Amino acid sequence: MNKNNPFEVVPADVTQVIQESPTIKTLRVLPQENFDFETGQFAEFSIPDVGEAPFTPSSSMYNTDYLDFTIMKTGFVTEKTHEVEKGATIGLRGPFGSSYPIHAWEGKDVLIMGGGVGMAPTRSLLLSLIDKIGKYNSVTYLAGARTPEDMIYKEEVKEWRSVSGVNVIRGVDEVPAGQEWNEEVGLITTLLEKIDLQPDGNPVVVCGPPIMMKFSTFELLDYGYSEENIFLSMEKKMYCGHGQCRHCMIGEYYSCKDGPVFTYDKIKDEENIWE
Amino acid sequence: MLIGKQDFHRCIEQCAEEGLGGFDQVILPKKKGDEGLFFMNFSEEGSPALTSFRTHDPLRALFYFAREEVYPFEEKPLRRLVVGAKACDLRALHLLDRALINEDFVDPVYEHWRENTYIISADCEEIAETCHCTLMDGKPYAEDHFDLNIASYGDRYLLEEGSDKGHELINLFKKQTSLEEESDAAHERVTQNRNNIIKKLEQQNNKFDYGPGYERLRRVALDYWNESQEDCVGCGACTNICPTCYCLILNDESVDNNFVKVRSTDSCQLHGYSIMAGGDTPRPKMRDRFRNRYLCKFDYMPGNFDEYGCVGCGRCIVACPGEIDLREVVSKILASPIKAAGVEHE
Repeated sequence: MNKNNPFEVVPADVTQVIQESPTIKTLRVLPQENFDFETGQFAEFSIPDVGEAPFTPSSSMYNTDYLDFTIMKTGFVTEKTHEVEKGATIGLRGPFGSSYPIHAWEGKDVLIMGGGVGMAPTRSLLLSLIDKIGKYNSVTYLAGARTPEDMIYKEEVKEWRSVSGVNVIRGVDEVPAGQEWNEEVGLITTLLEKIDLQPDGNPVVVCGPPIMMKFSTFELLDYGYSEENIFLSMEKKMYCGHGQCRHCMIGEYYSCKDGPVFTYDKIKDEENIWE
Repeated sequence: MLIGKQDFHRCIEQCAEEGLGGFDQVILPKKKGDEGLFFMNFSEEGSPALTSFRTHDPLRALFYFAREEVYPFEEKPLRRLVVGAKACDLRALHLLDRALINEDFVDPVYEHWRENTYIISADCEEIAETCHCTLMDGKPYAEDHFDLNIASYGDRYLLEEGSDKGHELINLFKKQTSLEEESDAAHERVTQNRNNIIKKLEQQNNKFDYGPGYERLRRVALDYWNESQEDCVGCGACTNICPTCYCLILNDESVDNNFVKVRSTDSCQLHGYSIMAGGDTPRPKMRDRFRNRYLCKFDYMPGNFDEYGCVGCGRCIVACPGEIDLREVVSKILASPIKAAGVEHE
């Protein structure tokens, strides 16, 4: 038998750790073997003897120098991930699942909505689009966070905004005392009012907490986006990554294999998709 | 071909004890006191029961262990012969083949066990109270997915070859003993026996109505599931003993920075099954998890593999501490009113 073992782990060296917010860090890693991915796909990220969890890289798919993983501290594995230091070795399996069909979007106006740590997969998308920006008519990125402190990638926004054809609007739900903010305030759905939407035949990507995805989707439908052009990142409990463990199923679909990127029309009749 | 029962048993004994056919292990159903039938090693204490009904433990457990190291995986040179497998279990194994050996993904350990195991199936000449393969369009004898099948004909077995491996086994037996050509009378007798068992199964299950299509299950209003799940304690016995359940947990058990992945079986009936980091789960209530199992077996698996996830072995009924009878639940839900159009969200 001379086949690849689907459970094979590619070791990767942590070259940098960036504190993005009080609860979110980006780990920059250098895989010891080739680890190409398409933006939107995810990897199983292992910490030796702790466990693994699925994360979508947050760097451009065209970046061959390193991979970024932006991870929020919210459970057991992620807590341990936050303890990882520069120089450590972690493991990667994958990449797995569906990706954003960015080649089909050439010539279009792409709208991206990233909420909270949902900015991580959408940063990968944004950076991948920026790398080939000439191919797209326009890219609008709406970024939302609870408070200014929770807004990630603060240092990079200037660079994104300097790219011709890219429009970035950021909003926070509230500005607690002691924090500074001179951009938009309001839920991410209110940011839609700030832009000249072009829903006709153009794609929109939504990634964030379930409640944000739910209300953004409904709002986008009202604005005239069609169900098959609304791309949702339905991250569930994806243990194995290749459609074996069945934990991540949405009806008969596997989030890990048929998703995690689904268009709304495909899953709208399944139950509890917003959980 | 026909083989004398005693000759057959002698051949199996030689496979187990003298390495005939190069086998390292021979596994067969044995009766363990009053506890029923279990797959056991040839040498273990208990009386062999090849042509009785299904064992308590599913055949799946011999190919997809409760706990196995999947990475790194070194093939273990172990050639096995399983004798006395049942049609329901073979159907289940066929579903697992589709799930675990396909163009997108191959589970290397499962594939290894499949490749290195020879399966001799045997007709069910007795039935258990919970057997209901006929409700699931199955038969109490194997029609495919076996290497060799045996069916009683007096003091002989009628042999049916199902694969190259089966051909190999027949040649092996031929070297040890003389086989007779099969006769029309033997076939007629076997068919008669089979029809008798089918009749018994149909009689036993005639109070259950699986009539309307299973796609109805997902459309029945959620409230109608409440009563059915009242006695469920969420222990997962039903899924652990199910021949088609293969959900897994992948654990990292790395040593000195060398990555080691161990898979163990999981159950969708357990509360933690779908909980994600942060605590969200698509199925927070027992009712949701209980219902998921039925939808998985009767709706999702047919969608995924073109096979029912239930083969009618009835093991889950025996294993359930709440004495929930799957047949009653399916019949009852299928007869319940469907919900209003659209998705019910709570």
